[in-house]
Amino acid sequence: MTNGRVLDVAHVEAGYDLLQVLWDVSLHVDEGEFVALLGPNGAGKTTTLRTIAGFLQPLDGDISFRGTPIGGRPAHTVSRMGLGYVSESLNLFPAMTVRENLQVGANSVRNKAQVASTMELVFQLFPRLLERRDQLAGTLSGGERKMLAIGRGLMASPSLLLVDEPSLGLAPMATVATFDALKALRERGVTILLVEQNVNTTLHLVDRAYVLEQGRIVLEGTGEDLLSNPHVQAAYLGI
Amino acid sequence: MTSAATNLRSVPLARRFLNFTWLTLGLAAAILVFEAFAQPSIVVTTLVTGGMWALMAAGLAMVFGVMNIPNFAHGELFLLGSFTAFTVYSPIREALLNDPSLTWLKILGPFPGMVVALVVGAIAGVLLEAVLFRPLRRRSREQWVMNTFLLTAGVSVVVINSYRLTIGNDFHGVPAYWDVPPISLFGVPISVDRAMVLVIALVTITLFALFLQRTGLGRAIRAVSQDETGAQMAGIDLNRIFILTMGISCALAALAGASLLFLFPAYPDVGLQPLYTAWFVVILAGLGNIPGAVIGAFIVALLQNLTIFYIQVGWVDVLPTVFIILILLFKPSGLFGSAVKGVWEQ
Ligand SMILES: Nc1ncnc2c1ncn2[C@@H]1O[C@H](COP(=O)(O)OP(=O)(O)OP(=O)(O)O)[C@@H](O)[C@H]1O
Ligand SMILES: [Mg+2]
Repeated sequence: MTNGRVLDVAHVEAGYDLLQVLWDVSLHVDEGEFVALLGPNGAGKTTTLRTIAGFLQPLDGDISFRGTPIGGRPAHTVSRMGLGYVSESLNLFPAMTVRENLQVGANSVRNKAQVASTMELVFQLFPRLLERRDQLAGTLSGGERKMLAIGRGLMASPSLLLVDEPSLGLAPMATVATFDALKALRERGVTILLVEQNVNTTLHLVDRAYVLEQGRIVLEGTGEDLLSNPHVQAAYLGI
Repeated sequence: MTSAATNLRSVPLARRFLNFTWLTLGLAAAILVFEAFAQPSIVVTTLVTGGMWALMAAGLAMVFGVMNIPNFAHGELFLLGSFTAFTVYSPIREALLNDPSLTWLKILGPFPGMVVALVVGAIAGVLLEAVLFRPLRRRSREQWVMNTFLLTAGVSVVVINSYRLTIGNDFHGVPAYWDVPPISLFGVPISVDRAMVLVIALVTITLFALFLQRTGLGRAIRAVSQDETGAQMAGIDLNRIFILTMGISCALAALAGASLLFLFPAYPDVGLQPLYTAWFVVILAGLGNIPGAVIGAFIVALLQNLTIFYIQVGWVDVLPTVFIILILLFKPSGLFGSAVKGVWEQ
């Protein structure tokens, strides 16, 4: 807490029923940092985020958020502590309007003025959502859904946002827009842990990154370090 | 304008209004208007019973939509409501018979019983969730719909038989809540009791709808019914929402039982007909659809009252069911169903 450590994941093991996916995963995110978690399909990136967000019980290891242990705590408690999570599948409320989805995102915020100003901010970040505010989430385009999911994640003004593959299934233009939004967020001081497959773009964007392969952290370093790392170049950048 | 252009425009319009749902609603409205002139009592009875079926069906639909529980013990909450109202109202009635000059008590009449029934129903709902569903959910969510169906059907049998053993088979009812001459509604004489039931239903349904649409808690309930994971990500405690949903649903059923005490005295299986009717309504409307359930309740009530008036009371469950089967043949997801697909396929 004193050194501005927002998230500390130490030696975490996790998995599903009989299948252990994560092996001794350790990573951390400091105040204001933009950190990426990279890796091939099936490496366990989503599993890592789900474990941090409280949707999976770690089998072993510790997770702490701003100094408080959160490993194994229910997801809604973790969310209420200020840890936002934007999942791969988005989990929007399809029969609610864009505005209602955002309002639910602000569920834990009592102060109405704060909700209004956060919604303003989300609409500034994604003007497209403002245009569509009365449309049902289930009828939005793929790109708009991503924006709404990130917007909903921001509504509780989280101090750390976990974002799982925001570029998945998006056309290049929409991907650029999403990354721009993340950049804008970090400029506003939101701490972000991003999971991505778009290795090149991501490494140019973030402060630090971890590479996860077969459930283990194999590399860690600044964006620049990793861009010049031979393993990263060979396995992810096709150089 | 060429005729081709006109045709192009008329296609979507025709589609919109010639679909099955609109035809059914239009037909129901036409019958209501016709009967308003031909047989106004049918309209009044439809509104009165429809309002109460709406209370039953809305709660049933909400519990199915939010918790995926097909509650076959919903009728026993109706029973609980009617017996509670009877217990609370009996001394009031006694006092009024002894001293008819107690005007304030006369006006108060059934309301204390209804309020107590509402509270008792809510407590019963909370207990059902805390004692039965939550432990089951914690153990396993496999085959959830089937397991909770069996569980609630079991609760229904246990409650009915415990009631029979402890309280007995007698009818515990009241001839009327208010012994006053009927008032006139659209030229039809309607007892004050029935008018009151209609008012209670409309007020309760309006408050319930406002709660779901306008308040944060109502939105949270709808959020859980649409995506549990998303709701948790937004910081919503599912357990809290399940408790609340079950409490409200059961309170509404108990209120229906209390309000209808003068028509349905409390006896062991008084809840069965309201249960079946509420299920007709919910299946007709589309599982889990709350606004649909409210409209469907009035359609089913209309079918029932047409059957009673033109055919015979014995057919009251038969004909509406046949109609519902016919409607489902054309629209398997129910009149208003589409948003709730997939619950059974999980
Ligand atoms: N619910 C589950 N039950 C069982 N195994 C699972 C489950 N979810 C994921 N897995 C397995 O865990 C491993 C890691 O999956 P995970 O979703 O964390 O990978 P990922 O790194 O996010 O991959 P991707 O880039 O494809 O999203 C995979 O082998 C996957 O098959
Ligand atoms: Mg993934």
